[in-house]
Amino acid sequence: MDRRRFLQLSALTAGGTLLSACGSDSKPQQRPQVAATPSGSITVWSWAGPAAMMKELVPGFVKQFPGVEVDVQDIGNPAIWDKITTGMAAGGQGLGDVLHIGVDYLPAYIEKFPGGLADLTTLGADKHKGAFAQGMWETVSREGKVYALPWEANSAGFYYRADLFEKAGVDVEAITVWDEVIEAGIKLKEKTGAHLLAIDKAATQTDSANLFQFLMQLQDGFYFDMQGNVTIDTPAGVAAMTIIKKLNDAGLVADGGGGWNTMISTIKKGNVAVQPMPTWFGGIIAENAPDQKGKWKVRLPPAVAPGGKVAAIVNSTHLAIAGSSKNQATAFAFAEYVLTRPDSQVHIYKGKGIAPALMAAYDDPIFHQPSEYFSGQKMGEIFLGSLKQPSYVTNYTADYGRALKLVDDAQTKVLLQGADPAAALREAADLLANQTGRKVQR
Amino acid sequence: MTLRAMKLAPYFFILPALALFAIFKLYPIAWSFQLSLFRTEGALQSFAGAANYTRLVADPLFWTALRNTGAVLAVQVPIMLALALALSIAFNSGLLRFRSFVRLGWFLPIVTGPIAYGLLFAVLLNPQSGLVNWALGLDIPWLTDKFWARVALGLALTWHYVGFNAMVYLSRLQALPADQYDAAAVDGAGVWRRFWHVTLPGMRPVIVLTVVMSTIGTLQLFDEPYVLTKGGPDNALLTLGLYLYDNGFRFFDFGYASAIAYALTVIIGVLGIIQFRVLRDRT
Amino acid sequence: MKRVMLTSSMLITVTVVLVPFYWLIVAATHSSADVFGSTPPLLPGGELMDNLAALEQRVGFSRTILNSVLISGLYTLGAGAVCTLAGYGFAVYDFRGKELLFGLIMLGLIVPGQVTLVPLFKMMLAMDWLNTYQAIVLPNLALPFGVFLMRQSMSTLPKELLAAGRADGCGELRLFVRVALPVMRPALAALAIYLFLYQWNDFVWPLIALRTTDAYTIPLALAAQTGATDTDYGAILAGTAVAAIPMAVLFLFLQRHFVSGLLAGAIKE
Repeated sequence: MDRRRFLQLSALTAGGTLLSACGSDSKPQQRPQVAATPSGSITVWSWAGPAAMMKELVPGFVKQFPGVEVDVQDIGNPAIWDKITTGMAAGGQGLGDVLHIGVDYLPAYIEKFPGGLADLTTLGADKHKGAFAQGMWETVSREGKVYALPWEANSAGFYYRADLFEKAGVDVEAITVWDEVIEAGIKLKEKTGAHLLAIDKAATQTDSANLFQFLMQLQDGFYFDMQGNVTIDTPAGVAAMTIIKKLNDAGLVADGGGGWNTMISTIKKGNVAVQPMPTWFGGIIAENAPDQKGKWKVRLPPAVAPGGKVAAIVNSTHLAIAGSSKNQATAFAFAEYVLTRPDSQVHIYKGKGIAPALMAAYDDPIFHQPSEYFSGQKMGEIFLGSLKQPSYVTNYTADYGRALKLVDDAQTKVLLQGADPAAALREAADLLANQTGRKVQR
Repeated sequence: MTLRAMKLAPYFFILPALALFAIFKLYPIAWSFQLSLFRTEGALQSFAGAANYTRLVADPLFWTALRNTGAVLAVQVPIMLALALALSIAFNSGLLRFRSFVRLGWFLPIVTGPIAYGLLFAVLLNPQSGLVNWALGLDIPWLTDKFWARVALGLALTWHYVGFNAMVYLSRLQALPADQYDAAAVDGAGVWRRFWHVTLPGMRPVIVLTVVMSTIGTLQLFDEPYVLTKGGPDNALLTLGLYLYDNGFRFFDFGYASAIAYALTVIIGVLGIIQFRVLRDRT
Repeated sequence: MKRVMLTSSMLITVTVVLVPFYWLIVAATHSSADVFGSTPPLLPGGELMDNLAALEQRVGFSRTILNSVLISGLYTLGAGAVCTLAGYGFAVYDFRGKELLFGLIMLGLIVPGQVTLVPLFKMMLAMDWLNTYQAIVLPNLALPFGVFLMRQSMSTLPKELLAAGRADGCGELRLFVRVALPVMRPALAALAIYLFLYQWNDFVWPLIALRTTDAYTIPLALAAQTGATDTDYGAILAGTAVAAIPMAVLFLFLQRHFVSGLLAGAIKE
């Protein structure tokens, strides 16, 4: 242990002893946080769209609590993850007060940097426990402590070019399992020449295994189980990767190398018929291909096996408070203002199409209107239906980043070198176990 | 000027360099070894003895990185240096017109930074719509296929470094005594024999120098694979430097990253000693 | 005949080598959509300013350029002084421990820089220097290759010149400043160009030590763009042109010093 770390730790323990000594001999002092009026200034870290929407909410918040100053900063995604990590590695130096954190990074911060995020139960977070979509509260809590309030809850979706499938004589709404998707894809390619979907086969971006992860989540599976064991090559994983291999072997998968740009250009060109993407993606299609209005539809994805699930919350983001924040009460009040008021969430949905985890927000008519772009479908209701179904809690663990890299590599082996799905996943699972000291559960 | 001052003067001149070197090089090198004996996860740290090193030996990705580096050393470096040698002879030839233009043109890539030319090559070699595939009328999966990604890296490295090495050779060629050539010519030695018996032996010191420089540079390779494919596809361009960076600064596993760094140091040290031996023995 | 063959084949190959530079100019002046269109553009376009404006809007590229210029400039001054002093000390004097100390610094040529990344990061963290210029400039001031280069060059100083200076009652420092430095101007120019280029293009350590966009140097800002959700290659290549072309032009003007100075230093035993 180096000297500096030692000093920090001893300072911490000394402080801890002091606090408990004070607490034991006198009556518990009144906890000021909840009752006190928020004051002072706070900094909020987020990125792009969400940051812009929070900026718009600041005046209302300040009106409610005059004298408070809120500085919302657009740190950028993914830059924000590194910046938070570095701040935590520096013992909280230079961190914002309110931190916008994705579900994939939250566990790493909680586990690797104890005390890095504030425990929100001391600020009264428990009263919001029942307000959010299923599974959300479990996602932000750990051993009786709550580390964040949920913001967006993205469900698995299945966006498709209805016109192309019609030409191929396929009724997409009647499809129930992914094997039928493959059959439909073959017909589609014969009749229209379009690929069924695109995958970043060479893993040029870290999110290239999105579809694999999505198919695992549809089976209540993930890269880790609740005990933190590695579960990449469980039957669920092998089933997911086998579907991807079948799609590829049938010549239905276009190469999405290059990530976002390529995806947008394939949408514009119209040579890929399906985008298996979450809630927020609808707005992206409408924004980038306005001329294809009326050609797209959306449904919940088919199940992996007959009778299987068709709903899954595939990712979510949250607002946390830095443990180092000197103004946690105000920071928490701001997070409450943004996340627990239906008005705030409806405003954000209208602005950037970010789907709330806050269930009360869905009472607003905006979620029940037919969408002009999506052929008059009631998009909001489709995804709301998904949110209301029982959801599996995903354990991302502190090692999600490592798992993601290995799964990307395994998928590349399967798609580009014809590797056997089970063998490629087994190799990835063993590597992950070796890197992290976790056990493999098969 | 007193004798005492004369004696102290050299230390005054070298002191800044020595002090900075000790603080920012020697001390971190020692610290790095200490770190490699700890298991780290973010802010958590515990003594682990040799655990990081046993993990390293059992880690297939470490060996993948080593193999990738070895492939560059065994294939790209010899091809590039042979090409550089041929170029230097052409540069030196009395028959060459537009000589300074040609030399400068070949030399210019070296002033372009690795990130800049890496980005440029990534765009030139874009499989769907890059200039290279368009000009060749081919559909080569540069950067998305394991084999072709390695070829792309080799092309980029060669483009960047070959001219510099050729100029190093050229400066030695120009320093070779002309009378040896004349003697060889009088003996009626052919072009090839003259190259083999006169030019090549005379070039040995610079050839070894460039081999050593290229070896050290290759073992530390980071920028080009990082910007071309971030080490992919499926770790085809993973180098020790990239693997170290990922472990240290993406996953904040400082202990393991330090163990990788030390392994790299030992490898470079051993290769360096072998190559310097060759230099000493033969010249 | 031989002459024509050799010259024309060399002209063809050098053209191939220069194509990337030409293409850089072409691509930097077109939009991303054009660069990746079905037929790549072959002539320069008119969208350089749009591309630079896009880059300005994304990363604040003018600030990035300023960072690069300041960091490289400060580094060149600092490292130039440190390396020249040390090279002079090692070349001109005989003293106890000379070979040992020189060998120690030369060890830095062999020990990979990557070994020091983690400790340097921890060091800068403890000093609260992450995201600062000094974090980038300080660690490499005593650049082993720079010291080596200067020792080689300084050893060509005529001993009689120094002896004459001493006979005139010149102090050691004055001797260095008044006698040695003026003679060494070409070598100093070569060193300066080398140091500036080294820092201008340096990537790994700044990538680790500079954590926010407003502190980025040019290579960092450009590399970061490729990871963004929507990569604008027109803008990236415009930025690349800004990073690469001034260096190439600067080099063309100063190449006589650079090539001969650098090679002379590197080649001599």
